[in-house]
Amino acid sequence: MVSTLVPERAGPERAGPERAGRERRARPVSGAADGPPRTRRRRTVVAYLFLSPVLLFFAVFLVLPLGFAVLLSLSHWSGFALSGIEPVGLDNFAALFAAGSTFLVPVLTNTLLFALGTVALALGGSVLVASCIERLRFQGLWRTLYFLPIVTTVVAVGNVWKYMYEPGGLVNGVLNAAGAGSVAFLADPDTALPSVVVVQAWASLGSAILVLTAGLKSIPESYYEAASLDGAGQATVFWRITLPLLRPSLLFVCVTQFLTGLQSFALITVMTKGGPGDATNVAALEMYRRAFSYGDWGTASAAAFVLFVVVLLVTLAQLWVFRRKGEEA
Amino acid sequence: MRGRGVPWVSYLVVAVGAVLTMVPFLDMVMTSFKGPGEAGTLPYRFLPSAFDLSNYRAAISQLNLPLLFRNSVVVTAAITCSVLLTSSLAGYALAKLRFPGRDFVFRLVLATMMFPPFLFFVPHFLILVHWPLAGGNDALGRGGAGLTTGIAALAVPFLVNGFGVFLTRQFMLSIPDEVLEAARIDGAGEFALWWRVVLPQTRPVLLTLGLLTFVDAWNEYIWALLISTANPSVMTLPVGIQLLQDHLDPTRTTPVIMSALVLSTLPVLLLFLLLQKHYIRGVMTSGLK
Repeated sequence: MVSTLVPERAGPERAGPERAGRERRARPVSGAADGPPRTRRRRTVVAYLFLSPVLLFFAVFLVLPLGFAVLLSLSHWSGFALSGIEPVGLDNFAALFAAGSTFLVPVLTNTLLFALGTVALALGGSVLVASCIERLRFQGLWRTLYFLPIVTTVVAVGNVWKYMYEPGGLVNGVLNAAGAGSVAFLADPDTALPSVVVVQAWASLGSAILVLTAGLKSIPESYYEAASLDGAGQATVFWRITLPLLRPSLLFVCVTQFLTGLQSFALITVMTKGGPGDATNVAALEMYRRAFSYGDWGTASAAAFVLFVVVLLVTLAQLWVFRRKGEEA
Repeated sequence: MRGRGVPWVSYLVVAVGAVLTMVPFLDMVMTSFKGPGEAGTLPYRFLPSAFDLSNYRAAISQLNLPLLFRNSVVVTAAITCSVLLTSSLAGYALAKLRFPGRDFVFRLVLATMMFPPFLFFVPHFLILVHWPLAGGNDALGRGGAGLTTGIAALAVPFLVNGFGVFLTRQFMLSIPDEVLEAARIDGAGEFALWWRVVLPQTRPVLLTLGLLTFVDAWNEYIWALLISTANPSVMTLPVGIQLLQDHLDPTRTTPVIMSALVLSTLPVLLLFLLLQKHYIRGVMTSGLK
């Protein structure tokens, strides 16, 4: 039955020569790859037509820029005529790590501390809140509340918190009311980075809660029932059942938050512009500044690739750690 | 563990966390109503002395908010439409058509998601500056500002999204082949099929992807800052507001800035509250898979 229907499938415009192809096909249509050569060729053309906007975009805005960035990281360039690009080998990378360069310390160390602090706070907070929300009514309402910072522009988040951290702002107002002295959160180099970390964690808590909620919901109720039959307490259930079974979600939150933490500099740009001094300067911001404030495209591109390598290594390390733990369990 | 009396401790934890989450928003709204000498002065007071709209009027007039709004809407709409269109086209081909190179292209799409955005700031900017035959450039991309001066520059790097292609492709895999075959038997071409059969069935994931894209585009700051510092007429809301914050006397304008921030945040917050089910579904499925 199927074979009689094949010609119609390709549309009425199909002409004589196609019929030979149809006759040859005895087996039923199992997939679109079957069919006479011309149909197959047409399918391929149509498929690539569907893909053409995406492929064209990736060629111009992904492959070309990556190649260009590699070239720039190995060159000196004033930024005008393309013919003025001078290859200098690994000089840009050497300059980043030369004695006296701020790139390794404090910029890269700040980047890692920023990411680490954010992950620790967001992960701890979201595990606590997500597992508590599970026991409450109006779960959707609570999650919506926690999610609001994520859909808020970084300019709003950054400025509101910056204002809250000021001597006359909310945080110091609360401290003063409690009898404590004011803290110059963003102006003091010692407190600036932790202060920004808190804001980044605050802003990312909602999505972590969402992912963990999904993870919690996928744990079969029967495990909990079995545990309560065995007389396990809440703490035991949490450590022995909830946390181990939540591992995939925890891994996801860990990896994505760490990646976001390593890369993000919009919040820092808004709140401190990397200051005071270099106290909150991070690798992506340093790259941005070297490129667009100083026109130093070479070391900016080199910095971008160093950060990229850090991002890759951290991701691989986390995957490896979680996989090993998974095997032990 | 579950359903054993009222979980007071859980209520307490969640409520305290919720207050901490909401307080910055409330402080933003309260400050937006504060009069001269009320914001940033000691001792701190949470509530304003009166709720009047003078700061909002000042924000609209000082910031040229209508222009900023228009720019934000244009850029966000262009990005969202383009991502939806290109993702659903490519997603369909990758999910439902068989052709040589399909697996390679799919792997390529996955690979694009691996490269973090910061790698592209510099080369994207330079490529747009040296775009041939645009903005006073010659055929070799020399002499002018290229594509960096127009409003298009704000949208161009975000027009296609590898994650969007991946998301629509995964969803379209679940459309039964029989439905498509039936339509082909009825003589539908692939484009008609995509438009009339596939897109309507893909509506949930398109809504989700559209929302995610919309929110990201509306809130995008770094690239917009780069493009529009040179050209204030294409400034978007985040950049325009931040510029006011950076260049005006902070003690006098904090309430004005807060009211501008409230106005710029409201559209996205409302959209999210209305369609949160779809937005959250997107975050959740991308989190689970």
